Amino acid sequence: MRILSIFYSGFILLLLACGTTQVPKQVSYLGYPVSPKIKADTALINLLQPYSMEVNRTMNNVIGFTPTTMTKRLPESGLGNFMADCMKEMATQKFGLPVDIAFMNQGGIRASINKGNITIGNVYELMPFDNLLVLQELKGSVIEALMNHIAADGGWPISKGSSFKIKNKQAVDIIINGKPLDRNATYITANSDYIAQGGSDAAMLKPFPFQNKGYLIRDALIEYIKQITASGKPVDAKIENRVTSSNNE
Amino acid sequence: MNRRHFIKQTALASSAVMASTVAGTALLSAQGIPEQSLLTILHTNDVHSRLDPFPMDGSRNQGLGGVAARSSLIQSIREENNPTLLLDAGDIFQGTPYFNLYKGEPEMKAMSKMGYDAVTMGNHDFDAGIENFANQLQHVSFPVVISNYDFASTPMEYNYKPYTIIQKGKQRIGILGVGIELEGLVPKNLYGNTVYKDPIVAANETAEILRQKKCDLIICLSHLGDKYSDNKVSDEILAKESRNIDLIIGGHTHRFFDQPRKYTNKDGGDILVNQMGWGGIQMGRLDYNFSSIKRKISPKAHTVVIMRKPNE
Repeated sequence: MRILSIFYSGFILLLLACGTTQVPKQVSYLGYPVSPKIKADTALINLLQPYSMEVNRTMNNVIGFTPTTMTKRLPESGLGNFMADCMKEMATQKFGLPVDIAFMNQGGIRASINKGNITIGNVYELMPFDNLLVLQELKGSVIEALMNHIAADGGWPISKGSSFKIKNKQAVDIIINGKPLDRNATYITANSDYIAQGGSDAAMLKPFPFQNKGYLIRDALIEYIKQITASGKPVDAKIENRVTSSNNE
Repeated sequence: MNRRHFIKQTALASSAVMASTVAGTALLSAQGIPEQSLLTILHTNDVHSRLDPFPMDGSRNQGLGGVAARSSLIQSIREENNPTLLLDAGDIFQGTPYFNLYKGEPEMKAMSKMGYDAVTMGNHDFDAGIENFANQLQHVSFPVVISNYDFASTPMEYNYKPYTIIQKGKQRIGILGVGIELEGLVPKNLYGNTVYKDPIVAANETAEILRQKKCDLIICLSHLGDKYSDNKVSDEILAKESRNIDLIIGGHTHRFFDQPRKYTNKDGGDILVNQMGWGGIQMGRLDYNFSSIKRKISPKAHTVVIMRKPNE
């Protein structure tokens, strides 16, 4: 028996010594859409249920009111102005610095806000991204380059007190915080971290550091709407000729 | 680990002898037909707390995603009875009110229920602080693998692994992870004392360990991003600078790859990179076909053929 088992182990060791390995040879790939046609797994629905009940209650929370439907539009929209104003105001409050101008990239506006009550859920639809509100110190010449990019892109929302005209896809007559742009001056700008890092082809901003307090633009919007409501006012946003097109393009 | 592997191999070998299939295998080899085996890899990235499908609001992604549908899909693929791995490349957290309210608890529970085998960390997984991420790991049954973050004296110190080795069917799979530079991306107070290290160096060192531990396939879960217009480190750069890694499951840049990208690694072998967008809108599948060959003649650099899987 003992001899047999030694023989047996020896045989196995021999097998291992000339052991095999598995080598990848061929890969087939597929991306499955996770579509609503797939039946939902009830185990997961049950797992989520206590959480989703509470989430829905929060999402349905009314935080404000607007008398008009706000929709995004080029080259300027009330909704975009509202968002850019929110960024300027909340960045000023959060960072404690005098912000000269705020930019909101047009592509970052993801929904309209319908007239009537505004819920937390509406704000999530408007700003589903987890973009952070950040501050950047920029030279006037850099802002001019950004404005030219914005003009070529058809116009992005900018905050109250600032304006420019789009002429031949260039930004002209640039006013920052009530004064004509000075290429050599330094301005404090509020932006999303996405844009500050060169997103949406704003590569000219990329070399410049930004201050970040981990504050989401979505949270800024919620806080801003709550502040307006607390002051007894509705949320209202108008087109104020901040961005105008001086020729037909 | 090595000893367990030895015992497993021995057990496999013994059962092979008992079943007298050795002769059959020898016959197959003699005829020059290599013995084949299959591994299915399912993967997601940047799901961003998307537990429910996207809301029916007329937007492009309406109705897509959600853990309940994903779970059914995973189950139906598992019923094909191939050894199956389920992996995620990070940014599990942040993006829906679930995260704002529960800081990742339902996300972690849902992933455990679906049977994830391993995940790595994305920058947004720090969004409620490193201590919160470590706390949420009480709800998981899978390891968090990351080899280029030094978590010494952070709440993650004893809550992660530089790599994990999983035996699935005939394959011994080594899985490591790499994370993106946190400075400038995540506020310092959220990542605390976490020290970022060069992901290429860390990935190659870890992959070498996995090779020595006789892994048949080495997978890197990466949250570096697929590629950038400047020379910022990315999956593309890692792939070209890597040794021993067969596959990078990527994330961060939210790209929907139509097909995996193939690169040549430092040893002249093939390495694949794949990424599946974000939000759980899609789930990736890679079916790996393996050939059984003698270990001592096994090449250092693998060559793989890529093809689209027919949609049944």
